[in-house]
Amino acid sequence: MTALADRLSLRRTASLTRWNMVLLSRNRLALFYAAVMPLLPLALLLTGERGSASVGAGAIVTMFLVIALFPVYYNVLAQFVSRRDELVLKRMRTGETRDTELLASVALPGALIALVLSAVALPISVALGQSLPVNPLLYMALAVLAVIMFSAFAYWTAAWTKNAEAAQLTSMPIIILASLGPLTNSIPEMADRLRDVLSLTPGAALSDLVRIGWFGLDGPGAEQATLTFAETWGQAAGPLVVMAAWTYVAVVLARRSMRWEPRA
Amino acid sequence: MNNNQRSNSAVRVRGLRRTYGQGASAYEAVRGVDLDVPVGSITALLGTNGAGKTSILEVIEGLAPATAGEVGVLGLDPVADRAVLRRRTGILLQRSGFSGDLTVRETLRMWSATLTSPRSVDDMLALLSLEDRADVRMLALSGGETRRVDLACTLMGSPELVILDEPTTGLDPESRREVWQLVSGLRDGGATVLITTHYLEEAETLADRLEIMHAGRIVRSGTPTEIAVGHPSKISFANVPDVPDDLAEIRRVVHEHGRTTLETDRLQTSLSALLAWAAHNDVALDDLDARSPSLETVFLSIADGRDPADSAPREPLTDDEGALR
Repeated sequence: MTALADRLSLRRTASLTRWNMVLLSRNRLALFYAAVMPLLPLALLLTGERGSASVGAGAIVTMFLVIALFPVYYNVLAQFVSRRDELVLKRMRTGETRDTELLASVALPGALIALVLSAVALPISVALGQSLPVNPLLYMALAVLAVIMFSAFAYWTAAWTKNAEAAQLTSMPIIILASLGPLTNSIPEMADRLRDVLSLTPGAALSDLVRIGWFGLDGPGAEQATLTFAETWGQAAGPLVVMAAWTYVAVVLARRSMRWEPRA
Repeated sequence: MNNNQRSNSAVRVRGLRRTYGQGASAYEAVRGVDLDVPVGSITALLGTNGAGKTSILEVIEGLAPATAGEVGVLGLDPVADRAVLRRRTGILLQRSGFSGDLTVRETLRMWSATLTSPRSVDDMLALLSLEDRADVRMLALSGGETRRVDLACTLMGSPELVILDEPTTGLDPESRREVWQLVSGLRDGGATVLITTHYLEEAETLADRLEIMHAGRIVRSGTPTEIAVGHPSKISFANVPDVPDDLAEIRRVVHEHGRTTLETDRLQTSLSALLAWAAHNDVALDDLDARSPSLETVFLSIADGRDPADSAPREPLTDDEGALR
């Protein structure tokens, strides 16, 4: 903890996060994408049979994907790159602010939005006929891991993104990588070898964890909740390892290639 | 540099080199620089654009690594001791940015919250004459106003060492003078200031010590007076082709761009001789100008790549803009 305290002052990080939140709230379009967009997939709960676990899983998986990509990944990427372009980051680094605090404070507004949305999804889903998560702890762990993983992806992408405009292009590989994953669960007749490969993607791990942790679904084709609280842990181990591995890779890549100033 | 100076230096640089790029495209922006900034002084790094001033500052500020050499700031290492140093230094970058959607007051409040012992936001608004603009968003400010906010951030932590990279570039003459007053005030309050500029007037007005840079090296150091020593005085007038070159103490005569320029180490003696010659031969010396060596003549000759105090010029002197003004 002292090592962390050397690198990060909570007071400073909290204050900077608050100002980044103010800035986000003054950018209406960015705020809409970050805070409203992710809730739209919940409209899927109005389709199909009320209370169906497979319909519920489809809606929540999509919501989580949008949470990971909009308030976290794209938002963090765009904020960081535009502040770097504008030399705001360089200016901040001439003051007492540490690098870790800068990184945390740029990521935290998106992270907080993501966690709030993950929580807000619970009452909305219940109101629309879904049951509460089988394993709420797993659901929370998923939300936190997704935030860390996609923030790290954002910083890694920022390293080779020239400016805020270029982010529209440079974000594509991660967006595609994340979006492919859930197909493993939505296309039951997929070839096993392809499914095995795809299930190692971050999006697949995220999708699996929603299905297991919230809906107790056992395997890709499952439509009825069969897993108990205890059983969900065992099933979740695989996708948790996948997410942890991707997070580790993203953090290492981001640390190695971090840039604080626009390229000359 | 002796030991006494060493202990009295707020910034001490030895053999600093900084290279950009690698291999064939490598460019050495700083080519072996020694620099001492005495505690309590205003020291100016003076040089043309591209001389390497900012490249040196970035290393002193801990923002960029040196390719070679040693740098000590307040006796500490600018990279390893960055966290400690940041509390004691105030830095103004040549170009820096702020979030356009925050107001001036919000920007200063945000900065203030990052400091260990900040002066109050209202104090800073008053010090930089920004009270009227406090609730205006940053993106609506003029360049000069943004620079004043930038300076407010630099000074908010009451730094003992202030590093200013071209603080007045882009400012109107009035704001420039205000900044000069502010900088002099910092020294009077006991702070040490390292400033870069390409304005001679600024360096001459503000600095106790000058370090003149050219092409990655410091080529002259000292007070403005010390630096001018050894450079010739100049007498010039509208071209007179047959002026003799053996008048008293005249070093050389140059006819160029419609003017004749005489260089001398003894201005009064040479000028008297010239005037006597002119009177005797009934020659009119139109637009006559005589001046002692100034920082400007030294700087311009260095910038032109010819420095008479260094060695005899290898090519004929070009017209000296400094003497024409």
